[in-house]
Amino acid sequence: MPRINLMGVRKSYGGGGPNAVEALDLEIADGEFMCLLGPSGCGKTTTLRMIAGLEHLSDGEIRVGARVVDSVGEGVFVPPEKRQMGLVFQSYALWPHLTIERNTDFGLRLRNVPRAEREARVTRVMKTLGIEAYRDRYPSQLSGGQQQRVALARMLAVNPEVLLLDEPLSNLDAALRLEMRAELKRLHREFGTTIVFVTHDQWEAMTLATTIAVMSQGRLQQVGSPNEIYDRPANRFVAQFVGNPPINMIDLAAGTPLAVSARRFLGERSPDAGAVGLRPEAIRLGGEAGDFAGPAEVTGVLPTGGSWIVELESDGAKLFLTTHQPPEVGPGERVRFAVRPEALHVFDRDGSRSAVADAAFAHGRMN
Amino acid sequence: MSVTSPDRTGAKAAAPARRLRYRLRIAASEPTTLIGLLMAALFAYLIVVPIVSLLFDAVQVQLGDQRRTGAEVGSFTWYYLERTFGSRVAHHLFWGPLVNTLTVALGAIVLAMAVGGTPARLLARTDMFGRRWFATALIVPYMLPAWTFALAWTTLFKNRTVGGQAGWLETLGFAPPDWLAYGRVPVTIILALHYAPFVILLFGNALRRFDSQLEDSARILGAGRLTVMRQVVLPLMRPALMSAMVLIFAKCLGEFGVPYVLGLPVAFDTLATSLYQNIASRQSGVAAVLAGAIMLIGVITLTIDAWLMREARRFVTVGSKGSMDRLSPLGGWRWGATGFAALMFALSVGLPLLTLALSTVMKVPGRFALDNFTLDYWIGTGLNTVALQTGILLSPDLWNAAWNSLRIVGIASLTSGLLGLLVGYVVVRTPFRPLGTFLRQVTFLPYLVPGIAFATAYLSLFAVPRGPIPALYGTWVILMLALIADQMPYASRAGIAAMTQLGKDPEEAAQVAGAGWLRRMVSIVIPIQKGALTTGVLLPFISGIKGLSLFVVLAVPSTDVLTTFSLRLVDYHYTQAANAVVLIIAALAYFGALLGQKLTRSNLAEGLGG
Ligand SMILES: Nc1ncnc2c1ncn2[C@@H]1O[C@H](COP(=O)(O)OP(=O)(O)O)[C@@H](O)[C@H]1O
Ligand SMILES: [Mg+2]
Repeated sequence: MPRINLMGVRKSYGGGGPNAVEALDLEIADGEFMCLLGPSGCGKTTTLRMIAGLEHLSDGEIRVGARVVDSVGEGVFVPPEKRQMGLVFQSYALWPHLTIERNTDFGLRLRNVPRAEREARVTRVMKTLGIEAYRDRYPSQLSGGQQQRVALARMLAVNPEVLLLDEPLSNLDAALRLEMRAELKRLHREFGTTIVFVTHDQWEAMTLATTIAVMSQGRLQQVGSPNEIYDRPANRFVAQFVGNPPINMIDLAAGTPLAVSARRFLGERSPDAGAVGLRPEAIRLGGEAGDFAGPAEVTGVLPTGGSWIVELESDGAKLFLTTHQPPEVGPGERVRFAVRPEALHVFDRDGSRSAVADAAFAHGRMN
Repeated sequence: MSVTSPDRTGAKAAAPARRLRYRLRIAASEPTTLIGLLMAALFAYLIVVPIVSLLFDAVQVQLGDQRRTGAEVGSFTWYYLERTFGSRVAHHLFWGPLVNTLTVALGAIVLAMAVGGTPARLLARTDMFGRRWFATALIVPYMLPAWTFALAWTTLFKNRTVGGQAGWLETLGFAPPDWLAYGRVPVTIILALHYAPFVILLFGNALRRFDSQLEDSARILGAGRLTVMRQVVLPLMRPALMSAMVLIFAKCLGEFGVPYVLGLPVAFDTLATSLYQNIASRQSGVAAVLAGAIMLIGVITLTIDAWLMREARRFVTVGSKGSMDRLSPLGGWRWGATGFAALMFALSVGLPLLTLALSTVMKVPGRFALDNFTLDYWIGTGLNTVALQTGILLSPDLWNAAWNSLRIVGIASLTSGLLGLLVGYVVVRTPFRPLGTFLRQVTFLPYLVPGIAFATAYLSLFAVPRGPIPALYGTWVILMLALIADQMPYASRAGIAAMTQLGKDPEEAAQVAGAGWLRRMVSIVIPIQKGALTTGVLLPFISGIKGLSLFVVLAVPSTDVLTTFSLRLVDYHYTQAANAVVLIIAALAYFGALLGQKLTRSNLAEGLGG
């Protein structure tokens, strides 16, 4: 039973621009940690705000549980204050005139929770998030990370069934971000809340999500588990957006020697192929029979601490490979690169993943 | 239009009627749009309708003019336009006053520049002694009503041309000639002194933001001080200077009190006083034409100002950091500069206020003998004057007027402050953009219309019963409504700025947390905007307390406020009492302004538009 259901949702801000969100169908299951992932401006915030009821639909329908909260067709609209959700803003949006405690118990007061219970719940949430010491301070007296916790605490205090988070970690420094990521995951387990988390950071999405929805230019590109997204990207956009260093994409129409050899390698197995993607960690030096392989020259070796990025040039095309073994090659050396055929990501000329190629190559993919 | 992509299942594009239902449901879920619509209707009625009604009055036969125009009441006529602009009396009605208004305004501008330019530079860019103190002290003239100075002037320079008590100079043996006592010269000087703070503020601010490296570069290239001033500083300062000039002009255009007090004795009329006299003699058609003309000049002036401001934005280089606060040392001139500022303060604030204060405790003006001093005019009893039997503080009329002032101006300021915040709220929050745009523009409209013309418009609309609304003339309601409308430009500007700065997030956070509209207003929006609201109420209150031109048209004896009361005393030649009331007003305005400065910890200068 899906918790949240978006059906044919479209959003236009008017003014003649393109739709911010286009024909969006998305199901978010109960208890899921769903990440909306995509580059800045792709419509993530808009989608989140539509779920919260803060932005109105131009078309389509949104359901939460069995309840229709938005329906342009049926003329139904449930205002945000009646949706019983939690939303953490990118800017935190703490109330500057209220203390941390009053910020946190605002929702409980609204619900007329008796004083004793209110205090107990507020204290518990504050303790969980480590902000109890700041009870009587005002938001302006806290650091960014602390404010962020208050913003979370404020929403968790009312124990919402759905928690919406809009890039809540983007204003934090790296160490704090890591810590908060772990904390969010723990909170998800502990409170069992359905979470929709917006981010443009693929690492954040990969590490946190149970399901990732990748968006681009207002359109949903793929929904799947982090592994699915990474291992079977549904189209060129997803393949190129997810992965660091990015996937090596060979455009078959480019006519370079590498493209020609890739075209020849695919042969009859994938007649409509338009591009082939090689994940950096799928490329090896050496290789065996049946691999897609070719000559290359090492142009650089970049240690990244525990792993290495080797920069190759094959007939003028750049390829990156990553390895966890110290590479025994140096700049200027001539080598042979190779990729197992089942590790190839083949995309048709329209950009979508080639089902024909997937079927033709063996299924035992590398992880 | 189908928007669903063929490869996905989803709701079909909804029909327009359904879509409308969805929108209505949204609009009904919170009152923002409804409140916006109500306010739009309110402001249309309080601002647009009076102006339209005024413009109709200018071309429609007015009651009592049937015989002269040979037409029915309400039918179209060129009579008033012709009479104002082209008849034998046109010179007396319009052209003369127009010339006077323009010459006085231009004279005041030139003089204010001359008087204000030097202190502006001293305060902004030198290490003169007491800079901070003078920075406030020298703008005091603007916090006081302009005609405070007019009354001080007559107290000093009055001659036998008019009745009542003599002026000080006359008592001291020197009878000032008419040109010095009344008319163009004193009006120009007083307006210049009153608006010189504008120059100090606007020009000074621009100078402060001016990057002194620009000056230095020119000096290093070999330019002399004067060349630098002429070729670098002045061209870059031009927008600020022009803007100050245009604003002074706009203010002078609507100025009523000063030319009324000083012009009347020698029949020196400006457009504002000519308009007033036509209202007083019930020439409502001609009055409407005059008010329309003033309005038109106001619109033109402020259009020019808006254009200048746009031009000014091109000079974005002004204001690079680092060298902003560097002050040029004056060396031996430090004392000289300080003395100059002190002298200016003495002449523009000290002397007038002292004169007024002394005049209220002297029986014969200007005779400095101990037995000539008395507190009777303040607290005496059994005085032998017709209208005032007691000292002013014991007179019920004063307290009545003071109560009216506080009540009318207080309620109006509170209302306009709240309405301003609401306008800001709707402008920022409504999903229905044209509503926001309309509210912003309609509340700005009174800014283009000088107060006295606006009051005339109110008179035109509310003098007679219209529909369900009874004739409001003679009640305090009309004063309050006019004042609210007149203050809306400042109130809504403050409200929009405050709400824009706050943004939607804090309120939306409360909304998601489950707070309904009223709850959000009461617990989130208003508390956060407390400071802005205080300013938005206090500043209009100050300018309302010292305002005259709006009230002089709309008040009747029973609705006297402090300003009209003191003007009435002037008319009766009760100099001491009139001056005492003006001092009370000045004190209220000044301390109110100080309080505002304390509460908001900001420079008043920005907000004191009225
Ligand atoms: N209030 C708004 N008015 C007009 N356009 C908007 C508004 N909010 C967002 N947009 C536009 O909609 C698109 C999606 O924005 P957004 O949902 O904020 O993207 P993201 O959160 O993925 O960065 C962008 O092109 C943005 O410019
Ligand atoms: Mg965003």
